[in-house]
Amino acid sequence: MEISISMNCPSCGGALSIEEGSRTTSCPYCSSLLAVEGDGGVSKIMFTNNLDRDKAIASAKKWMKGGFKARDLPRKAEITECYPIYVPFWKCSARAAGWVCGWREETRGDGKNSRTERIPMEKMVMRDFNWNQVACDAGDIGIEHLKNLAGKAVLHDEGSIPTFEVTTSPSDSKAMAVESIRRTAVNSAGVPHITFSKVHVFPGEMELIYYPVWMVRYKYSGRMYFATVDGITGGVLSGRAPGDAMWRSVAMTLGMAAGGFGTSLGLGILLNVQDDSSGLGILVILFCLSVAGGAFMFFRHGSEMTTGDVKGGYQFGFRNGGSGVGNEAMADMLKIKVRR
Amino acid sequence: MAEIKCTKCGAPIAFDSGDKFAKCKYCDTQIFIDKSGAGFFYIMPYFIDQANAQGIFKRWTAGSLMARDLEATARIISFKQQYFPVYLFKRDVDGKEKVQVEPARSTTLPGLHSLKVPAGDIKIFDQNYDAGGIELLKPDIDMAAYLPQLPGTAKEQALVFFPLWTIQYEYKGRKYDAVIDGSSGEVFSTDYPTRKAAPYFIIAAIAFIAFLIEGLIGVLLWPVGFACGGALALVTIPVVFIAAYTIVRRF
Repeated sequence: MEISISMNCPSCGGALSIEEGSRTTSCPYCSSLLAVEGDGGVSKIMFTNNLDRDKAIASAKKWMKGGFKARDLPRKAEITECYPIYVPFWKCSARAAGWVCGWREETRGDGKNSRTERIPMEKMVMRDFNWNQVACDAGDIGIEHLKNLAGKAVLHDEGSIPTFEVTTSPSDSKAMAVESIRRTAVNSAGVPHITFSKVHVFPGEMELIYYPVWMVRYKYSGRMYFATVDGITGGVLSGRAPGDAMWRSVAMTLGMAAGGFGTSLGLGILLNVQDDSSGLGILVILFCLSVAGGAFMFFRHGSEMTTGDVKGGYQFGFRNGGSGVGNEAMADMLKIKVRR
Repeated sequence: MAEIKCTKCGAPIAFDSGDKFAKCKYCDTQIFIDKSGAGFFYIMPYFIDQANAQGIFKRWTAGSLMARDLEATARIISFKQQYFPVYLFKRDVDGKEKVQVEPARSTTLPGLHSLKVPAGDIKIFDQNYDAGGIELLKPDIDMAAYLPQLPGTAKEQALVFFPLWTIQYEYKGRKYDAVIDGSSGEVFSTDYPTRKAAPYFIIAAIAFIAFLIEGLIGVLLWPVGFACGGALALVTIPVVFIAAYTIVRRF
């Protein structure tokens, strides 16, 4: 059972020192250049934590105020714990290049003479994207992707802060990164009906980023809730908070009123007009029904309000569970334009 | 921190679970730690203490899908702190790293079948590590049983003990299980007393129909009906609000 292999220069036998992730090194004694074969060179970056305990708590307290959480939450919440952790994220930058072809519909003319045409589209995509995803099972931390990826790197371990271990594979993540970037790139072309697309993604090296996150746990009527605070920007990344019975009832009442009246208005439009504008009536009805549906979901599940990628509860708008792809270096696009 | 002996001078070198390289303090030798042949023991410390775990359980029982009176009436039978073992295999399959997690113990606990190693600060578990008297569930499935079925070649394999709070509670004469991951605080449960959506749905449907009818009166019998429907709505809104508030509180 071998657990350690000492590294010596193969030509002179001197002791070698290699930074994790590097691919070549030169022997300090005989200066022969050596290639390192190993784990495929993943570079690690650890970001400096910018917040202290008080700032993290202040940020969590500010988050408690908004978003239809329990009205007495800022007053009654009792912070029990607040500590920083380092969470690992895979990061991959890639350039997407290719063509997306298809068509869009356009209606021309006025009133009775209108006709719908298909206009062919052919768009070039040439853009850099970056992608990131948490490198372990996020559990109840509820952070899948980061929005901010800038920070000051530290060279050495900040000793006392617990660092979460990587438990997912870099190759799987790279494949996922390429796939999500390809999808985002195709969508970024803005072609509504795609008939053909060929987009190549050229990924760079995988990077491992250790990102500082503050865990703030608090108690509200005997129950334990939490919020996580971004250790660089100070914003709240995810969290759970109690909901409010009054807001839920208000939302239900107003939602159903909007839904009911709106639907009757839509039906009125449908009955009163004969020709083309029936589409408007249907649109009004659909919109009002979705308002009523949203209000009902808040009424039903609003006893717990959530932020970020945590399970359960109610969250306004769409859940964050995006693809983790962000635009990088819009400048590249501009450069191409200028060259033309 | 675990230790290995320097292959050159024999001095002890401390290293941690994520390290691939270690440097000897005495003779400056850089050592690569080859984990492909060895089986490591890792352990994940608790971030959630007992009071926290109880608070998380209480919060979970108050969820919108759980029975309304679950928070108030669930009687906890047992609240145990246990380390659960899983195998973590890192394999090299055609130059790509694959991670596979398999249970090291047969269990009926919820949430441990779709296994992933939860987020946590993994430490090397050896005789120096003090588990603080917490029960370590012994693996009863041998690592060798999995090895022949795994793809590719070994890169690393480890037994990971991860921290759990296992809770058994009783509600209306029936026993239920729930598990809290002691590192991130996630609650796992496959079977729990559920809340009926019917009261919520009925009041919402009644409110919707009432407003729809009032709206239709307004639209169809314009302009007399509009005033009429509007007046009715002014009465309906507070009634619906009070009904909704009662339902939120009671059901």
